[in-house]
Amino acid sequence: MYSVVQPNGWVALRLPSDTTKVLQVIPNTTISLGKYGSFPSNLIIHRPFHLTYELEDKREDESYCRLRVVPPSELYADVIAEEDEAQGCTTPGDQSDKILSATDGVEFSLVDDDGKVIAKSNRETIDDNARQTLTMEEIEELKREGTGAGKDIIAKLLLSHTALDQKTSFSLAKYKLLKTRKYIRRFQVLPLDVPLLGKWMLEEKDAMRVMEMRDEMIGLVGCWANVHYAGEDVTLDELNASRRGATNEEVTDEDRLKGLEEEVKPIDGRWLVIDDTSGFLVGAMAERMGILYQEEEEIKEQPTEQAVQASSEIKAENDTSNEIDQTKPKEQTAEQAVQVSSELEAENDTSNDIDQTKPELRKLALPKKLQPRSHDFQIPYSQTNTITLLHAASQPNLSFLTYYGFDVQNPNHPPHPLINHLLPLTWLQLLHPEKDSAYTTPPPHLPQEKLTAMKTNRRGGYHRKRRRYARVRHIVDSARAGNFSGLAVASTMEPISILQHTLPLLAGGAPIAIYSPSIEPLSELADCFSVARRSAWMSPETAPPETIGKTAAELERWEGNDDFPLNPTLLLNVMIQTSRARRWQVLPQRTHPVMTDRGGSEGYVFTAFRARPAEGRVEARGKHTAKRRKVGEKSADASAAGTPAPTEARVGGHS
Amino acid sequence: MNQKSQHNTMAPDSSIVSPFLKPGTVTKPHGLAIVQLSRDNLVPVYLQDTKGAHDGYAEGAVVNTRYGSFPHSTLIGVPWGSQIRASNVDTGSRGRKRKRNIGDEGGNEDAEDGAGAKQANKEEVEGNDEQVLPKKATTASSGFVHVLPPTPELWTASLPHRTQVVYTPDYSFILHRIRARPGTRLIEAGAGSGSFTHASVRACYNGYPLSDTDRKGKVFSFEYHEQRFQKMKVELSSHGLDGLVHLTHRDVYKDGFNVNGVSPEAEAIFLDLPAPWEALPHLSRSRPASKQSLGTEENPWVSPLNPRKSAHLCTFSPCIEQVTKTVSAMRRLGWVNIEMVEICNRRIQVFRDRVGLNLPVERGANLTPANVMEAVARQAEIEERFKEHARSGPSTGEMEIDEDVEADTKDGEAIRAAAAAAGYKVWKEGKLITKGEAEVKTHTSYLVFAVLPREWSEKEEAAASARWPCGGEEKVIGALNKEARRREKQKVHEGQKKKGAKKSMEGAAIAALDVPCKPDGVRAS
Ligand SMILES: C[S@@+](CC[C@H](N)C(=O)[O-])C[C@H]1O[C@@H](n2cnc3c(N)ncnc32)[C@H](O)[C@@H]1O
Repeated sequence: MYSVVQPNGWVALRLPSDTTKVLQVIPNTTISLGKYGSFPSNLIIHRPFHLTYELEDKREDESYCRLRVVPPSELYADVIAEEDEAQGCTTPGDQSDKILSATDGVEFSLVDDDGKVIAKSNRETIDDNARQTLTMEEIEELKREGTGAGKDIIAKLLLSHTALDQKTSFSLAKYKLLKTRKYIRRFQVLPLDVPLLGKWMLEEKDAMRVMEMRDEMIGLVGCWANVHYAGEDVTLDELNASRRGATNEEVTDEDRLKGLEEEVKPIDGRWLVIDDTSGFLVGAMAERMGILYQEEEEIKEQPTEQAVQASSEIKAENDTSNEIDQTKPKEQTAEQAVQVSSELEAENDTSNDIDQTKPELRKLALPKKLQPRSHDFQIPYSQTNTITLLHAASQPNLSFLTYYGFDVQNPNHPPHPLINHLLPLTWLQLLHPEKDSAYTTPPPHLPQEKLTAMKTNRRGGYHRKRRRYARVRHIVDSARAGNFSGLAVASTMEPISILQHTLPLLAGGAPIAIYSPSIEPLSELADCFSVARRSAWMSPETAPPETIGKTAAELERWEGNDDFPLNPTLLLNVMIQTSRARRWQVLPQRTHPVMTDRGGSEGYVFTAFRARPAEGRVEARGKHTAKRRKVGEKSADASAAGTPAPTEARVGGHS
Repeated sequence: MNQKSQHNTMAPDSSIVSPFLKPGTVTKPHGLAIVQLSRDNLVPVYLQDTKGAHDGYAEGAVVNTRYGSFPHSTLIGVPWGSQIRASNVDTGSRGRKRKRNIGDEGGNEDAEDGAGAKQANKEEVEGNDEQVLPKKATTASSGFVHVLPPTPELWTASLPHRTQVVYTPDYSFILHRIRARPGTRLIEAGAGSGSFTHASVRACYNGYPLSDTDRKGKVFSFEYHEQRFQKMKVELSSHGLDGLVHLTHRDVYKDGFNVNGVSPEAEAIFLDLPAPWEALPHLSRSRPASKQSLGTEENPWVSPLNPRKSAHLCTFSPCIEQVTKTVSAMRRLGWVNIEMVEICNRRIQVFRDRVGLNLPVERGANLTPANVMEAVARQAEIEERFKEHARSGPSTGEMEIDEDVEADTKDGEAIRAAAAAAGYKVWKEGKLITKGEAEVKTHTSYLVFAVLPREWSEKEEAAASARWPCGGEEKVIGALNKEARRREKQKVHEGQKKKGAKKSMEGAAIAALDVPCKPDGVRAS
């Protein structure tokens, strides 16, 4: 994550009303906060996150509002004063400048939720009859008067009157909170990372788009699917050194295609993902794998424009791309990226197509990874630390990733870590590649003379087609080869049908985590692995006749029937759980759980590990129905999560 | 294939990537494996390729469980996730020495299995120079376990407890919220049993550092309890985590978080300590007022935080009084976005609820009426028999009625037998229901989150404002003002009018909802 606000980067502004405004910080524009006012975007660019600003009043000779950083001592002045008071210490001088006395002859009324006047600034007694509220006009009037921003009004209202003591501090605090939020012109700048994006979607924007997936659920899915950075990039050429370096002409297409197939050697650090949350799940996983954010060039106090031009060096490549990406409008971005990358591209390749051709530009990447692509069928993807995304439409919906500068549709993509770590394919390609034209249509092939005679952009198109073909072959073949190290799912499709086709693709011991907003699809899935189902599968009397005499490997590809939708011996440790973070208010003498929170789906996570059953029938042993552990009994073993001994009817016990 | 980067690592034993981060495809000798005896009954085992008989076992090192005995040789070199059959082991001299673990009494037996296995490993390390080859294990007729690759989740569920630990529902949420990601430098205190440590290493890992100056994601862990510190040190080493976790034996209340006077440059902090407020002043950007004594002219105060990034903090305390004190300290030390939550996690069990009078007799079935119809039919039947009985004989008595009821039950049995013959599939029958587990954890701890923004000097501000001068704004972004919004609405309205139909209005409304995450973008003012 960046250390300061990036020009053209996405941020979230938290407003006094506790609402969030998400926007792209375009330099030289005015950011409007609606009723709270507006300010120049340049005032927050290259400034830290999490600061609280207050809009100042326009200075006489200026056309815009400046921002003032509100120090935490001011943010918490009330609470700290209250605490100190409770402890009997008087707060000297320090406080006096925050408490304003309403001696300037203006009368204000303090009203409670029902509009009842609690106090007026110029009178000593509470006037129960005066149902006077501040109208919108009056507030606008007060703001325009401008002697102080909204906070002064609040301070005057709240602190000028002794009669306020008669109110309990509880109702006062409630009152204060409501009104304060309305009028104070403060806001905070936050980075739009995955947790914030989720919160914003869930609470303010459109919870359905993220399938109501709360932080708790993302955390559980990420952990139980064991999603993490899996190691430095490995290219196919590194795995297969013999083919490295040969150019288009030295090896025939046939050889290369054959090579492609042979080269599929799955190694670990590959996750399989099904995501119907518009890329929210993919984003969360990419964040955990270190492939969501572009590397920020470490503290060059102020990166200069010159740095942008001066980049023939590979090391400088990184900040160049960053610079371009952040400071220039889009068209230029692509163009410049092409220029930059062309230095790395092979001589004979003059195409505009930088799609995938550029090796990843992470700082960690070894220089040799930046070697130009020597032929069209060279695979740009890393062989580890990847996300293979199965999607149901012809194109994956990853629209949330645009907040992180990634657009799966863009053929001229500027550098981004997801480019060579995200492998999308359709279900059709996975299950019936022979029916997919992208997979089956052979790539064009032209002799060198014809190529040289071609116009530049037609030649570009030729190479692009060939590369796309090689990419599709690689994605599909490697996915079908399986051996994935984990599966994460947030899908509207039936989980049973998903597992029917993905279980065989998982490596032994690979974890599975499936999120669902409702429990029913997950309980149906868990039921496929119940003890009763497993015993029936194992017992010769009840096992499906087709399975008799089959090897364990053959049964891994069991397509399922009515009685046994899935091979019930393929999963271990099946568990369904739900989590909810209950929020609390913490204030002196007023600490309690918050009164209301978002309703809707609770959200559930199904977890398990891929098992590799032994050949033949295996009998269980041990009295697992023996004495149940008493509730609360302490044991040092795996009842860690506070789980009781398995009961007979439970899903996933031993046997 | 991280090997390349591993060759030149500093620590000799980090030449292998931790099995937690890269388990490979098969189990390896000397590696950590998690043996699953049954659900929720997991035992960590360091696999030993013993050269001869061991601890009295001719087969070498053996894991003993109530599901059978498993010589390590049967657990090594198999793909992860494999189901392993039990072996008949030759206890040889062992039977005389001491007998344990082959019990089948259930209950707490599991706990002993775990401890036993672990202890067995230790013994092997001690002395095993016998040159005899271990006897080949023979498969037993029943019993099995599964062998799983270590993950923080499985470790948390099986680790040797030395303290209370943080479990998955809490740490998964905490690590997400404190933004622990590849490359993050994370401070943790106290280390305790290392549950949180393992989860945070996985989160922060972005490669092993190649040299002292190679800055990688790292966990800086602190523990003041000597034995726990020592145990944990050994554990980290045997898990291949030496280059990724720096464990320090220290009282952090007193001595803070720098390591040899050097700042860890942390951007994420987790405090699982009795008094977090005692540690908080050390986590300041500049010398806090309460710590004026720390640092001197010659020895300036060094912040353990990354000076360029916001720091995300979470404290973990079971009691509300601790929270009050912590939050108060946070406010005074300038932490913002303070938020307290509590994680309520529930595990859910799935059952088949089989209720009905006509079900075959089997365990788990509830042979009572499934619905009112069944109940009434049965009552009517009894009533009918009663009447018949009255007609056939003069006297009626309780006894005879009972007989009739029994007769009815016999009929039911016949029906049930018929059902079974017709292919009654117990695993598919009944209603699928869910309910909470028998025992629920209702409280673990309160989680207090907070953020400390980086410091921003006047000089930095001056440089930024020189680079990004104001006054030349061209457009307005963000909220539309009232006028613009009115105009926009009008336009939409006009468009609909043109199409005429009311239907199109609905369509537009749906389309508007459908717009994929159109954030407030650029709009001409
Ligand atoms: C509840 S345990 C931590 C458990 C750990 N989070 C885990 O998941 O396994 C608390 C630990 O903090 C240690 N501790 C308490 N006060 C400390 C201090 N001032 N400095 C360092 N460690 C401390 C204790 O020795 C204990 O091991």
